[in-house]
Amino acid sequence: MSPVIRPRGLEERCRRGLAAADALVNRLVGWRFNPLYQSGTIVIALLLILLVTGIWLLLFYRVGAPWASVARITEDPWLGNWVRGVHRYASDAAVIAAVVHLLRVFAQARSWGPRVLAWVSGVLLLGMLLVSGWTGFVMVWDVFGQLLALEGARLLDALPILSEPVGRTFAGDRVIPDAFFFVNLFLHVVVPLGMGLGLWIHVSRVARPTLLPPRGLLWTLTALLIGAALLRPLAMAPEASPFALPAEVPLDWFYAFWLPLGRGMPEAAAWGLAAGVTLALLLAPRWTRRGADDRAPASEVNPDLCTGCTQCSLDCPWEAITMVSRTDGRAELLAQVDPKLCVSCGICAGSCAPMGIGPPGRTGRDQLAAMRAWMAAPDRRAAEPVVIACEYGPGGGAERAGRDGRLQASGTALYRVPCAGNLHTSVIEYAIRAGAGGVLVLACPPRDCLNREGPRWLNERVYHDREAELQARVDRRRVAIGHAGLGDRSAARETIAEFRDRIQALEAIAAEPEVVLDTECEPVPVEEKT
Amino acid sequence: MTRPSRVGRVVGIAGAAALTLGIVELSQAPYRPYPEGSARLRLAWSARPERIETCRRQTEEELAKWPPHMRQLVVCEGTSARYRLEVRRDGALLLADTVRGAGARHDRPLYLLREQELSAGTMRLEIRFTRIDHPSPDTALADLEPGAAAQVRQEQERREAAQRARRREEAIPPALVLDSVVRLEPRVVLLVTYDRTRQALVIRSRPAP
Repeated sequence: MSPVIRPRGLEERCRRGLAAADALVNRLVGWRFNPLYQSGTIVIALLLILLVTGIWLLLFYRVGAPWASVARITEDPWLGNWVRGVHRYASDAAVIAAVVHLLRVFAQARSWGPRVLAWVSGVLLLGMLLVSGWTGFVMVWDVFGQLLALEGARLLDALPILSEPVGRTFAGDRVIPDAFFFVNLFLHVVVPLGMGLGLWIHVSRVARPTLLPPRGLLWTLTALLIGAALLRPLAMAPEASPFALPAEVPLDWFYAFWLPLGRGMPEAAAWGLAAGVTLALLLAPRWTRRGADDRAPASEVNPDLCTGCTQCSLDCPWEAITMVSRTDGRAELLAQVDPKLCVSCGICAGSCAPMGIGPPGRTGRDQLAAMRAWMAAPDRRAAEPVVIACEYGPGGGAERAGRDGRLQASGTALYRVPCAGNLHTSVIEYAIRAGAGGVLVLACPPRDCLNREGPRWLNERVYHDREAELQARVDRRRVAIGHAGLGDRSAARETIAEFRDRIQALEAIAAEPEVVLDTECEPVPVEEKT
Repeated sequence: MTRPSRVGRVVGIAGAAALTLGIVELSQAPYRPYPEGSARLRLAWSARPERIETCRRQTEEELAKWPPHMRQLVVCEGTSARYRLEVRRDGALLLADTVRGAGARHDRPLYLLREQELSAGTMRLEIRFTRIDHPSPDTALADLEPGAAAQVRQEQERREAAQRARRREEAIPPALVLDSVVRLEPRVVLLVTYDRTRQALVIRSRPAP
């Protein structure tokens, strides 16, 4: 049993690639604005942009003349074309962000257990996004929309559902009824509304879901989309005709990536492939879930130590802790963990001042005992700074690669913890009192925390007196929190080196002999006023 | 914590711009869905197939089980006829298929939609749509009873026979043939459809009015 769920196989390969990409983007723009960490919130931001621009475009769309009405919008340079461009490019970017988000969750082994609902709803949301996009392209009724409609009809007609083939609608022996475009428009409105409900389900298992990216990133994203729409305005493709085969179609690869392949496939094979991919994604939690031996047990509460302060239930990112009345006669409430909801993240261990809750072996008391034993090791040097690194992030990877020393700058000691957010502040205090020159907690970037809110709560406990706070008696100059991702080795080393230098400077000041003013300064006689 | 350098930021912004450019280009990348110089023959029509059914007179006991307004003297049971579709270009068979009425019991109208890729040019196009099954003659009017009661029954029987005859008339003719020399331009779809009024296959190459 390991407190850290390690990615394996394909997950591990994806995670390595992701860690490298994260590190590169962190180096370029910093972790605060790394869009890879914000893939989920970026999707929501893009959906909001789609909603706003979509409502505007809807005002000018006519079911009776789909292509002509969109052409009129496109011809208007002020409030037509660029809004349509933003709408289109935002929808494309939403597909990319959603796929990155899905890969990220998969690579971090977050697709199973209590996270199944989020995974399954996420896969369905991606499907809805694609359906919504397809209906949007058909709305325009240009040659690309027609190609999508024809291929969709061909696939639908292979199913024994409708007696009249849908494809006959576009055959040309009769005018396409307005009802078709109305139903299509209806779907283009209803599916995104359904996505709103789906999003609510998607985040329903987490407390305090983050829905939007940081403001800077949000505005940058909006500016990029507007810039792209202005600099590369959308052109209007020729109107669909049942009697012509277009020489060229402007294909949107984000939504029609399957079209070149699918057109050459028999219907049964195309359906089989689509069903296979969908099932594989939906059933991913079945084949990624860990057995009982690999699964960390849920948190447990020690009723004797619980003071009913409610902090653990407030801090739990999964709303797995509730406060209930006690049955032992004590007046205060008692924390109760729902093992079905608990992902064993251990955040509660760090939030409990009396150390009465946490996963077995990882409560505050267990952490203190482990640190005590580690500090007592003979290779600990006096005043050596201690780096407490999160195993999911900067402290991970090195162990697997057998390169323990690479993260560690000379003159510091590396101590790994399953998650920096689990860390009880008493452990920091103990390390300093036991002779460490200082403690640097190297946590994951806040948006990349596997346990969602670890770095946030740690920061508040150390610097903002959140319950289970670092005691005031601890010299804050000797404590620091740094952030680095799994692949940010050089950034982590630089942070450690900076901290080591800071501690060495403090040690140098402390080592200076005490200045006795009387011996250093010539006393100046004070003239007494008469 | 180390902060990104100014150069890093510039590179980051350039990267974001490049990614946006990539999105823009892939959002409307040119794609050629049809081979150069190809044309297409599309066969699309819907029609009611003829019924292949056996009619029989209901016995008095059977009629008595129904409410008076639902009594039908002659009941017909059976299925819809199957049709053979053959498309030939300059005598060479391009497409051959059996077409049936839609629905699980094939009792719905038949809907035909077939597409065939053709190279452009002048060609003799021969399309045959012929009934495979043959309906049995309507013999239900035989054996009428004499008398006043029979008069009423006779009226009803005539009405029912007329209904059956109308259904037969509404059905697609037993054989439809289109034999024509056509010039097919590249990138053009030639539509062959069934004209109900003329009860014949017709060629169209422009939208219906």
